[in-house]
Amino acid sequence: MIEYAKEPFTDKESLGVLNKYVRDWFTKNFDGLTPPQRYSFKLISEGRNTLVTAPTGSGKTMSAFLSIISRLFDYSLEGKLENRVYCIYVSPLRALNNDIHRNLARPLEEVYDAIKKDRGIEIIKHNIRQVTIGVRTGDTTQKERQQMLAKPPNILVTTPESLAILLNSQKFVEHLKTVEFLVLDEVHELANNKRGVHLSLSVERLANLANGRFARVGLGATLYPLDEAAKYLAGYNGKEPNDCMIVDASWSKKLDVKVISPVKDLIYAKEGEIEDELYKRINGIIKESKTTLIFTNTRSGTERVVFNLKKRFGYGEDIAAHHGSLSRESRLEVEEMLKKGSIKCAVSSTSLELGVDIGSIENVVQLGSPKSVTRAVQRIGRAGHSYKSTAKGEMIVLNRDDLVECTVMLDAALKRHLDSFTVPQNALDVLAQHIVGMALAKRWDVDEAYSVVKGSYAYHNLQKQDFVALLNYLAGNYVGLESRRVYGKIWYDEKENAFGKRGKFTKVIYMLNLGTIPDEVAVNVVLEGTKRWIGNIEEEFLMRLKPGDIFTLGGKLYKFEYAKAMKCYVTQAQASSPTIPPWFSEQLPLSFELATRIGEFRAEFGKVMNSYLGRRKTAYGRTSRMPKEISDYLGKFPVDENSKTAIFSYFAEQLLYAKALPSIEMLLIESTADPATEKHYLIFHSLFGRRVNDALSRAFAMEIGELLNEDIGIMINDNGFMLVSDESLHIDSKIMQEAINDLSSGNLASDMRKNIRNTELMKRIFRHVAGRSFMILRNYKGWRIGVGRQQTNSQLVFKAAEEMDPNFPLIKEAYREILNEKMDLPRAEQVLAMLKDGKMRWEIIETPLPSPFAHSLITFGRADVVLMKERGRYLQYLHKQVMKKIGGKAR
Amino acid sequence: MNLTKDVELLDGLPIAYIRSLNALVVADLHLGYEGVMVKSGVFLPKANLKKIMDMIGGALKSTKADTVIVDGDIKNEFSTVDQEEFNELYDFINFLKEKKAMPVLIKGNHDNFVERYKEPFKLKVYRQEALIGGYLFFHGEELPEGVKKAKMLIMGHEHPAIGIYNATGIKEKLRCFLYGRYEGKPLLVLPAINYYAAGTDVNMQPASTLLSPVFRRTRVDGMRAIAIGYGSTIDFGSVSKLRKA
Repeated sequence: MIEYAKEPFTDKESLGVLNKYVRDWFTKNFDGLTPPQRYSFKLISEGRNTLVTAPTGSGKTMSAFLSIISRLFDYSLEGKLENRVYCIYVSPLRALNNDIHRNLARPLEEVYDAIKKDRGIEIIKHNIRQVTIGVRTGDTTQKERQQMLAKPPNILVTTPESLAILLNSQKFVEHLKTVEFLVLDEVHELANNKRGVHLSLSVERLANLANGRFARVGLGATLYPLDEAAKYLAGYNGKEPNDCMIVDASWSKKLDVKVISPVKDLIYAKEGEIEDELYKRINGIIKESKTTLIFTNTRSGTERVVFNLKKRFGYGEDIAAHHGSLSRESRLEVEEMLKKGSIKCAVSSTSLELGVDIGSIENVVQLGSPKSVTRAVQRIGRAGHSYKSTAKGEMIVLNRDDLVECTVMLDAALKRHLDSFTVPQNALDVLAQHIVGMALAKRWDVDEAYSVVKGSYAYHNLQKQDFVALLNYLAGNYVGLESRRVYGKIWYDEKENAFGKRGKFTKVIYMLNLGTIPDEVAVNVVLEGTKRWIGNIEEEFLMRLKPGDIFTLGGKLYKFEYAKAMKCYVTQAQASSPTIPPWFSEQLPLSFELATRIGEFRAEFGKVMNSYLGRRKTAYGRTSRMPKEISDYLGKFPVDENSKTAIFSYFAEQLLYAKALPSIEMLLIESTADPATEKHYLIFHSLFGRRVNDALSRAFAMEIGELLNEDIGIMINDNGFMLVSDESLHIDSKIMQEAINDLSSGNLASDMRKNIRNTELMKRIFRHVAGRSFMILRNYKGWRIGVGRQQTNSQLVFKAAEEMDPNFPLIKEAYREILNEKMDLPRAEQVLAMLKDGKMRWEIIETPLPSPFAHSLITFGRADVVLMKERGRYLQYLHKQVMKKIGGKAR
Repeated sequence: MNLTKDVELLDGLPIAYIRSLNALVVADLHLGYEGVMVKSGVFLPKANLKKIMDMIGGALKSTKADTVIVDGDIKNEFSTVDQEEFNELYDFINFLKEKKAMPVLIKGNHDNFVERYKEPFKLKVYRQEALIGGYLFFHGEELPEGVKKAKMLIMGHEHPAIGIYNATGIKEKLRCFLYGRYEGKPLLVLPAINYYAAGTDVNMQPASTLLSPVFRRTRVDGMRAIAIGYGSTIDFGSVSKLRKA
């Protein structure tokens, strides 16, 4: 059963479970127990599975380890401590591994010193040994590994990948069979991706090996829903999750947050005014605080902010950038400086969001929306010295959609509503990899192996037929008998109901290719028909490109034509506007939960606005004073005065212009045209998050394209999507109803497959899947295979596999990953069903020009630094037209 | 569709049929391809041979041809004959014999050592090029010599295809025949029949990147692309026109 620990234990109870020396060390070094420790010391000492969530600075590491260390010293004092592994600690970050090692080495040493002092000669007589700790990662040298094999550390600190390797190390496995504690750190970083799925299978294999129970301890920052995280940690026994206690101390730190609009009017601010105000504001915060941490969402944004702060205010070495493109050394250096407090301000894209200890930060500034409540809380939670202090954070917004988004986000954060994560379910590629690993270790009974796999939360619903399909694939049963010796990586005997290893290279292949993170390199952009290299884009970005998409690179516009392996061919596109901003793939998608909350806010605030606008006597103007009722309503949200004014005018303009407000209650579909490009648009103001929008937009484009017999382009962002055509997209309610009915008739998944089959997205994802399941190799007999080569190879494999069986397990997996992880088809289907049944209203309106809520989508492609000015002007133009129509003054 | 009175391009297939010879002409089979890939760590399922046999089998049935001319590259590996390759070669030749069709091989750049199998398989193998019934068959990695005596030149090697995009983001690549002139004589370039060779999209690549020296002497842009796909064979017009599409 999954249970929440409700009442903390008394300090006496908690400290009572520790042995004398460890307790003395703790009371000497700490003022008292932190909130998570009041639960965890006792729970973990009882050997219970325990999930602890708590903010940084709340003594999380000690909350997990102190009981474990105490237990090991108990053994030591009894003279029973042996050369074997008692505790395994796994963290996804290597940097964190070194941190932990350092943080635990000190208590181990000091406790042992105290014992030595106290017991003197007895330690030799009674064989009282030091509790040892060791790190094993990809960086560990061969020599260290040898030593570790001879004398394994009592506490083994490692990564998910190294753990998988150890499970297949014939000799080391013997040291793992008696493990008593497993600590998984940063659960929030693992639970929602394939790396975490991979780890969960390693854990179940370890449990199978250890012949029984070891206590599983999970540590995480902000994480929701906790029940699911607990199931991920504890695993399943048959249909039921194993017991697990949840210690929820994630809210022990207070939040003090506010949304800030640098100017009153985000549309008509003079050129450079927003920027000037923005930097002034940031500078003010830096000056006031001891240390400030700024988050920007993108790497280029990080560089830009650092550059501007230095240029404008003469900062020097006291400001530093920290993001994924910088070298490991320079990142470590920045972390060190933060810890020492020797810099005033660090600017980061996402890289400082989690993990390593960076000391005390006084203030966190977030530029633009971080797109999820959880992320916002994690980032702001970086501020404040300890769990006792308040985390201070400011969110500075630069446009009106961001403003509304951040307002709702911080409101949700204060109310403790988080976005939920989902663990990828039944990922067949990761499973294929582990089956090979299992086969290498011993001969398996199929049912026994199946039940080990089903112990993982990520596979507790796995169908037997899928498992058997993988055994057949791995046994090479898809080629003729005589070729199986080269194709097969395991043998599988259906009659005997057993499988095991095959082939002399299989182990080498396994060890050199395991893991789930695909190799990635930059994609070269080349002008088509020439050999001219223009620049690089990331593969994630390429995945999002459709032929005909226009994007900026080095300040110029290019049209995407096609891609080959790691080359992307483009043509020049002078007289058009971009359809996709360059940070599109880097920017995290707006979550479903937050999008829904914004929809709720729109509905509620829309009512307040409507009642005001209905009573209003004078024409609306942007200079009108905000009525008290509106000010009072918005005053309930954590926003400044500028923000209130901007939100007020944004909603007023939409309501007056379109007479309709898209919200959670009503999906607004707007048929309109763009005077600048002479394109026709059908804009769906659908607030369900970008992953749902991604699926919905493709679905509607397919359906409406077919109904009108036309090719239809798509643009999506977090607040909706639009269909684009050169011809008028005249859709009446009857046609729309027909389209909705059709789309919810149950064929959507298979239609979507056809739709994505030939896209770059599918090609790239299939490469990842084929790599994880050893259909193509990343490293063959010690030779690294280039990513371009891998790509070409995987496309051949796809072709052959599809020809053989369109439901080949790994093809199935690639589609699953795209439709359920890159997109959110299940929720898109829910939305369609609601529209069909009338559970959610929808309405089509026609507007001569896009309504205000559509402006960000229309100008979306222009949302790039280089084109920021152009975008601003265009936005002003659109806005002026709207204001003319509703009789107000633009300014 | 009929290319000339005597030469037919079989609908939807990368195969030409010459009436006067009662022969099918194909190029670039690259048998044993998967086996070679497996050796470099790509576990490519086998699909090629089966696909080729399906296509040639169907064509033999509909045309009643008694000869199959392979215009180069029947097998894949350059340097040696691999075991997997040998098995497939054996299966293919046997398949033709069962269908009562005589194999005629023109040697391609991948066909070293194929002569070794001339005897056991009772194969007709031409080293470089062959003039049969007025048609000059050559693989294409070198320039043809007997052009003067020929009424039509037929080559493979290039794996021609055309690329077409539609607005919803789907790229279609269709294999195609190329038909034009070389030194005053009609020249037919065969698409690859190999299942994996999607081909070189000649309308998207600069002409200078084409493999065969033939295209240094004749302009690919002046040739017609006759594309194959979805069960039919359609003349798409000149390559130069397709470049703009």
